[in-house]
Amino acid sequence: MVRKNSPLINALRRSGGTALLLILAACAAPPPYQMPAPKAEPVVAAAPKEATLPPPPPAPAQPVQEAPKPVQKEAAEPPSRAFKLGPATQALVNQARGQVTKGQLPGASATLDRALRIEPQNPLLWIEVARLRLTEGDTKQAENCARRALLLGSTDVSVRQTAGHLLADILRALHRDDDAKDLEDQPWMN
Amino acid sequence: MTTTRTVWMLPRKVLYALGGIILIAALGLLGWVFYLDGVVQHEFKGRLWSVPARVYAAPTDLYVGATVTADDLDTELRRLHYRIGDPGSGPGIYRRKGGDFEINTRRVRFVDEMRAPVRIRVHANAEGIAGIESADGTELPLFRLDPLLIGSVFPVHGEDRIVLTPNDVPEMLVTFLKTIEDRRFDEHNGVDLRSILRAIWADVRAGHMVQGGSTLTQQLVKNYFLTDERTFGRKLKEAVMAMRLEAHYTKEEILIAYLNEIDLGQDGERAIHGFGLGSEYYFGKPIDELEPAEMALLVGLVKGPSWYDPLKHPDRARTRRNLVLKELGEAKVLDAAAVTRAQAQPLGLRPAGAGYVPAFLDLVRRHLKRDYAEADLAAAGLSIYTTLDPHAQAAAERAVTNQLKRLDTIAHNRSKGAPLEAAMIIAEPTSGQVLAVVGGRDTRFLGFNRALDARRSIGSLVKPAVYLTALETGRYNAATILLDAPLELKLPDGQVWAPQNYTHEVFGSVPMVRALSESMNLATVRLGLELGLPAVADTLQKLGLERRPALNPSMLLGTVEMTPLEVIQVYTALANGGFQSRLRSVQAVLDEDGKALKSFKLEVTPAASPAAVYEVSRMMTQVTERGTGRAVGARLHVTMPAKTGTSSDLRDSWFAGFTGSHVAVAWVGYDDNRPTGLTGATGALPVWLDAMSELHLKAWQPDTPTEVEDRWIEFSSGLATEPRCSADAVLVGVPRGTTLTARQGCGQPASESVVDRVKSWLEKTVH
Repeated sequence: MVRKNSPLINALRRSGGTALLLILAACAAPPPYQMPAPKAEPVVAAAPKEATLPPPPPAPAQPVQEAPKPVQKEAAEPPSRAFKLGPATQALVNQARGQVTKGQLPGASATLDRALRIEPQNPLLWIEVARLRLTEGDTKQAENCARRALLLGSTDVSVRQTAGHLLADILRALHRDDDAKDLEDQPWMN
Repeated sequence: MTTTRTVWMLPRKVLYALGGIILIAALGLLGWVFYLDGVVQHEFKGRLWSVPARVYAAPTDLYVGATVTADDLDTELRRLHYRIGDPGSGPGIYRRKGGDFEINTRRVRFVDEMRAPVRIRVHANAEGIAGIESADGTELPLFRLDPLLIGSVFPVHGEDRIVLTPNDVPEMLVTFLKTIEDRRFDEHNGVDLRSILRAIWADVRAGHMVQGGSTLTQQLVKNYFLTDERTFGRKLKEAVMAMRLEAHYTKEEILIAYLNEIDLGQDGERAIHGFGLGSEYYFGKPIDELEPAEMALLVGLVKGPSWYDPLKHPDRARTRRNLVLKELGEAKVLDAAAVTRAQAQPLGLRPAGAGYVPAFLDLVRRHLKRDYAEADLAAAGLSIYTTLDPHAQAAAERAVTNQLKRLDTIAHNRSKGAPLEAAMIIAEPTSGQVLAVVGGRDTRFLGFNRALDARRSIGSLVKPAVYLTALETGRYNAATILLDAPLELKLPDGQVWAPQNYTHEVFGSVPMVRALSESMNLATVRLGLELGLPAVADTLQKLGLERRPALNPSMLLGTVEMTPLEVIQVYTALANGGFQSRLRSVQAVLDEDGKALKSFKLEVTPAASPAAVYEVSRMMTQVTERGTGRAVGARLHVTMPAKTGTSSDLRDSWFAGFTGSHVAVAWVGYDDNRPTGLTGATGALPVWLDAMSELHLKAWQPDTPTEVEDRWIEFSSGLATEPRCSADAVLVGVPRGTTLTARQGCGQPASESVVDRVKSWLEKTVH
């Protein structure tokens, strides 16, 4: 009888239920975004290895030109460049190197990011990033960045050699001594 | 006797029953209060008692040669809320004389340092920055401005909300709110009996409910937990919960929760919660920049956000605002002159332009989820440094807004449903930094984020992947003749597929460079079938598409569906010389102490042969020079590879392309897939072009990979030629040593000196 007639119990049930629902709703609210599935391995394996390594062309001795400034309409591309860093990116590279010496690797990474925003296509910056990745122990990314530097600097004899030697060191760290040797035997490396 | 006994027994029964009822009622009440207490605490702990993460745009770097003009710098400083005045008087103040700026910067935390206020001088002109020096005259190689705050978010909840912290809230807003809604807020314990009695008296006099008499705490509780029904039961529950809330939390905590939670309106499906978002939504500026009239309007909205909706019912909103102002005057919060002045002002609803960037923040949240541990993100007071370029973002927003306005008048089927929509993403290809994201027509409000979620047929945007696949085999080059001729294909389901060119023309024998830049369907399908569908799908995946597209022959014409984000990822690999650069919007996340969380760094991965990518990109420059995208070349005069895309029946209009400094994609279409009557060139291209023309673009000018050489061929025939022989000559990249058939009388010498090339280029340009 008490049970049947107790509006309070009913009210309690109702509100308790509501409360419970509210709690549940709060806990079980679906995450706003799906977590992405774990990433597949980078597609490096699928890419033809030799395709990313510039083949050995004869390195023509050509007059060295200044790194071209961005132009509004292209001229015929110069066959050889001498890349250098602008004062701003040079300052950032110095800063990043200082950070590496002090063991501030994330800071160095951020500094080089900043430099890349200023001169994204400068192979010298990519060489710096490759070195940093090597220091961090991310040898795979070090290799990729060195290859990026090689491609960007393919017309600068000295940049190419620097990037080539760095890449050879990285390949040795990856226990790919034969690849490193092949690279070092390229005519343009000497 | 029986009677007496019964009589005697009855009261005892009643007594027991009564006792039982009272006991259970008391227990029930206790349980009920306990429950409500739990609900209140749970909800508050989980939602608002942590400091939101602050999200910043990439800081602008100033250095000699940076393309920041004097006016750009001025805009930037104002955007950062620097005031004009004597820089000697304190941080956050600057003075400009022509192109000379004296700036006293604020104390500011960057990813890698905390910088104390410093005084600098910057010289800028119409081209960019000409010099920077510190106060003592030392030249500085570079200097970065404060990073612009673009939002406060809870990375884990991922809500579209601008969360205010106590420091963000202007004192005036609090005063207005208390005066209008709850004058005894600081004294009562959640429920204000006096105001309830006053409300009841008002109701009785009116004969129905006219006043709620709710405190801010009760309103907050109602907003959090309860429906809008006006019953005694709900009122009671609200009162109990309000009192429990007051028992657990301070007045300041409750007030800040209120300011962040209260309902201030509705935008389509989405509720506008909180004064932070309300201020951006209605006025397009942060809360601390509101004037009294604007603040009064927001405070007035609390009473009935949909009834007083200033966008839908401006007259009601104005009346309400002026009533609020009048009450503020009567309460001596504002003086009479201020009230009169404020009442005379227009509503001042938001103008168009950059500010709150919900679509970009949406990408930031997803990248945070992708790259960081959820436990780390739940920490209070994080600082999130993003890659947003406010200048590029503003350009993309303007382009979408202005072009949609124009396209609205020419698109087909425009009256048959929701209006035409658009999306755009701009990124820096080499490092994969996302600079701008526009998710739809209303750039200030995050509804459906088309840039990230609209998966649509990409049409001919797929063609560069087909041609790249061909070039990578080594059996094709830009001069290879393809056959553009009708074909019929029996599909597995028995149907016959007979693709056609857009113009229904048939072009016969055409060199690859022309087939691609004029987007010929028949030639492309024939080529793709020769290569095999799996090979083309492989290429798309290598370039960064994270799903395997369905292998239908029609995939070669772009029935494959992709989001703008997926498209730009693929095009970034092309822009990046065959290296995939994983797109990212987050540069770093710092915790409350300024320590970097384990973060996601720049990542590049070789994805395709750089030689083949160079060749296809060089071909794609013809799209903007003489092909379907020539309007771009005509306006920008910068060499850039690009591609138009149009899906079947003109349902989707796409344009994607890149320069040496930017890669961008634009999409235009209807959400329900109605045909728009727009091609890639008439719909998305103008959006893309408008945005890109505002940026400081660097020409696409990569070094020619060593395995490739640049040669001149005739656009129509593919025969080797020289610019002096043919107005039809185009420069293409072919594998070094490729034998090209030459037109008689105008062969190309086997090797050409630079001087000759420059000369022939000049001749071509002059003619």
